[in-house]
Amino acid sequence: MSEGVALYPYLVLGALLFTCGVICMATKRNAIGVLIGVELVLNGSNINFVAFSQYNPDFQVEGMIFALFVIVMAAGEAAVALAIVLNFYNNHSTVDVDSAEELKG
Amino acid sequence: MPDFADKPGLLYVLATLLPVASFTILLLWGALRWALRPYAKDNATVDGIFQAIGGEVPGRAPAYVATAAIFLSFCCALIGFVTFLSDAPKLYRLEHALRDAVAKHAKAHDDENEPKKDQPEKDAKAEGEGKHKKPDEIAAELRKEQIRWQHSWQWARVNTSQIADADRGTILTLGFRIDMLSAVMFMMVTFIATLIHLFSIGYMSDELKKEVEDHEVHTAHGHYHRRGRFGRFFMYLSLFCFSMLNLLLADNLFQIFVSWELVGICSFLLIGFYFERTSASNASNKAFITNRIGDAGFIIGMLILWTYFGSFNFEQIFTQVRCPHNDTHGEIVHEGKKLGANLVRADLDSVTEDKRVGNWQRYKLVPNGSHVLIMPREIPGHYHGPQDGVRAFVQPKKNQLGAIPYWLLTLAGLGIFLGCVGKSAQFPLQVWLPDAMEGPTPVSALIHAATMVAAGVYLVGRCYPLFTLDVLLTISYVGAITLFVAATIAVVMTDIKKVLAYSTVSQLGYMMLGLGVGGWTAGLLHLLTHAFFKALLFLGSGSVIYGCHHQQDMGKMGGLYPKMKITALTMLMGVLAIAGTPFFSGWYSKDEILAGAFGYFMVNKQHFLLFLLPLLTAGITTFYMFRMWFMTFTGKPKDDHVHEHAHESPWPMTVPLILLAILSVCVAWGWPLHKPQNSWLGHQLHHYSQPKTVTDPAFRDDHGDLVPLDADLVAENKAAIQHHSIVGMLAIAVVAIGLAFALALYYFGALDPNEAKEQFPGVHRFLLQKWYFDELYSVAIVRPGLTIAHWCRNFDTHVVDAFVNLIGKWNIVASYWSGRFDKGIVDGFVNLIADVSFTSGNWLRNVQTGYLRSYILFLALAGMAVWILLYAWAGTLFGG
Repeated sequence: MSEGVALYPYLVLGALLFTCGVICMATKRNAIGVLIGVELVLNGSNINFVAFSQYNPDFQVEGMIFALFVIVMAAGEAAVALAIVLNFYNNHSTVDVDSAEELKG
Repeated sequence: MPDFADKPGLLYVLATLLPVASFTILLLWGALRWALRPYAKDNATVDGIFQAIGGEVPGRAPAYVATAAIFLSFCCALIGFVTFLSDAPKLYRLEHALRDAVAKHAKAHDDENEPKKDQPEKDAKAEGEGKHKKPDEIAAELRKEQIRWQHSWQWARVNTSQIADADRGTILTLGFRIDMLSAVMFMMVTFIATLIHLFSIGYMSDELKKEVEDHEVHTAHGHYHRRGRFGRFFMYLSLFCFSMLNLLLADNLFQIFVSWELVGICSFLLIGFYFERTSASNASNKAFITNRIGDAGFIIGMLILWTYFGSFNFEQIFTQVRCPHNDTHGEIVHEGKKLGANLVRADLDSVTEDKRVGNWQRYKLVPNGSHVLIMPREIPGHYHGPQDGVRAFVQPKKNQLGAIPYWLLTLAGLGIFLGCVGKSAQFPLQVWLPDAMEGPTPVSALIHAATMVAAGVYLVGRCYPLFTLDVLLTISYVGAITLFVAATIAVVMTDIKKVLAYSTVSQLGYMMLGLGVGGWTAGLLHLLTHAFFKALLFLGSGSVIYGCHHQQDMGKMGGLYPKMKITALTMLMGVLAIAGTPFFSGWYSKDEILAGAFGYFMVNKQHFLLFLLPLLTAGITTFYMFRMWFMTFTGKPKDDHVHEHAHESPWPMTVPLILLAILSVCVAWGWPLHKPQNSWLGHQLHHYSQPKTVTDPAFRDDHGDLVPLDADLVAENKAAIQHHSIVGMLAIAVVAIGLAFALALYYFGALDPNEAKEQFPGVHRFLLQKWYFDELYSVAIVRPGLTIAHWCRNFDTHVVDAFVNLIGKWNIVASYWSGRFDKGIVDGFVNLIADVSFTSGNWLRNVQTGYLRSYILFLALAGMAVWILLYAWAGTLFGG
């Protein structure tokens, strides 16, 4: 076990990444930008899983497996999201998410 | 196929059903024509069928159907009559043999206790028949003979689970029972009806046209035009014949009542045959309503009898109200004396303390008690007859004694007689019959002279054993008043049919009087003879009216003899018969009635009117009948126009006249001719049909002793027989005086009728106004009725309607407020909920922007909010 670095900085890094991701999702008008925000959020959570796997013996294997699942899921999500983006571009000739307002109530 | 040889009574059922078959055929035929007529113009096929069944003018075919039916009925009745004539002596012999055998049996039984006394002489025939046979065997043989002529079918029954004696007043039957009276009446009705059908083919020929002009109905466009109603007339006649025959056939009161109403409705339909004429429709209403009054009495009488006797069947009721024939002792004993087998009276015994134990009461037999005993319907093997202090049950079972209060039995008799008063147009319900002359003349002849009005007399004759002496006295007085009143009115009438109508009422009065004074045979014989000569007179008048182009006023006739000899001569036969000329049929019956009335007067001197009125009226009858004949056929023609066009009628009208004339003369003949009591027809009725309990002094009790059934009646009968010849002479003298007056006034002109009229203007007006009966009823009944109706209408419009309207108004107000509440409160609440939902939904819509970024923002903010809340909550929970 690594003794040098405490758990706390990892969690701060994860939270930072998560926050950045959320802000990115909320502010970017470009669909690709939003996707990048999603990736940031997922990776933020991955850092948490990996950190807990390192510092909590009860969570050693599960943390890593969860992180792996998240990566696989992120890949799938990216594939689906990119497909949606491409379709969206086909229909609207832009990837600006603000122009997608058909679901307005 | 029923076996007519085994059960010849079924011939009469067939005779009854034939007219109803004809009625049904004519009804369906007419209905089919009516249904097809509107479509015949447009559709060739329908038109083909319509033409095939007669088209607009079906011709005489309906008359042939109806006439054939009634003629076949006549044939059945004829065969039945001949068969019955051959059976009657055997039935008579067996009845007597049975009584004698039972008496012998009882005597043998009694001889064990009593000393022997002299055996009275017995009927030789009965002796021969009954010598070697036991009562049971004879009874079985008699039964076997009787069921040839009677049968009944169950018609309807009510639930009997509550009633111990299942038969008591719970079953209605349809049945027939033929005795000499109904057999003879059948012959008379079918024969006269056949002739009248034939006559009508000629008389109603005006109705054959497609369009008939009714000269007596005026409309805005001249006379009224309508379709001819030839078929309808014969349809009604058929229905009437069925009803009348069913009435004669019936073995129970209820069936008679049904037929009674049916003949009533036929009379209504036929009087109102020309219903477009106001007079005709009024007359038919008057006849119908007047008859309803009588029928109300009939129903009351029937219900009293049903309550106490538990049956409508004549035989059962008569067996119960009189001493039963096969009572093995036959003595109605009171203190060792026989009371006679007439109505057995009883008193509620006041001696015994426990009057009511269970549902029976103790009665004591007394000569003039307050109750009449109801004898057991089914007598057990050896019945000892009611003894002193006998037990009688309120609702007797088959073999128990019952009792009916005397006044109630009298009321029942009066009720039934009231029905007869209505139907037979007796005082005080006589007003309808003269008005009924509005109907076509053959109808007047068939229904309102020969048959239907005779139904009342027939019913009195049928129910005779039921009537107490008080009822019989009422019948006599009603008859006497009627015959006098009607005869006096007939003297001044100038309408030929009205004269005949009043003469009919008068003759029906004679019949009632005859029945009332105990002359059962005389009354019914007069019914039969009257039917023939009155049918003849009416058809004769019909022929005159037809020949004079529907002129009915005798004031415009006169001198018609050379123009219509057949009609004049046949009518003369009828006039002679009704006047009671010796050797004409009317003489035989009227003489017997007068003799009966005289016998009654000899025994009951205070009732002298019952003899005086009919004797006087015999003269009046002769006078007005000859007056009619002279005014019509002799003297100078009073109206040239009528006289010029007068002609004799065609053969279908004269043939019935000739046949009826022959019968009017000889229907009552017997041998030797000069004694009225020798009438063959009268003898048949007297011998085979007269109720044994009425006046027959030779009624034997079961010991073979002669028992006076009712001392008074027997004495009357004796007096009647003794003084027959004196009364006959008197009657002929009175008739001669009447004839002399008629000759003097209307033939020789020795006296001027107009002078007589002027001399007694009051009397003349009084008679012309029919004794002011119509006015009296108008003042006493019709106008009070209308006034009450007026009050009722006012009450209805002003009180009942006002109340209803008030409620209506309340309802409107209440509904208005209810509506307001509904709209304001209930609907408002519902709308409020809807509005709130809508507004909130509409507002919440704003959240759904559709922008991906705003959703993410919300999500993040919500996540943060949740986190902050959780944190705060956890802080409070764990104290920071």
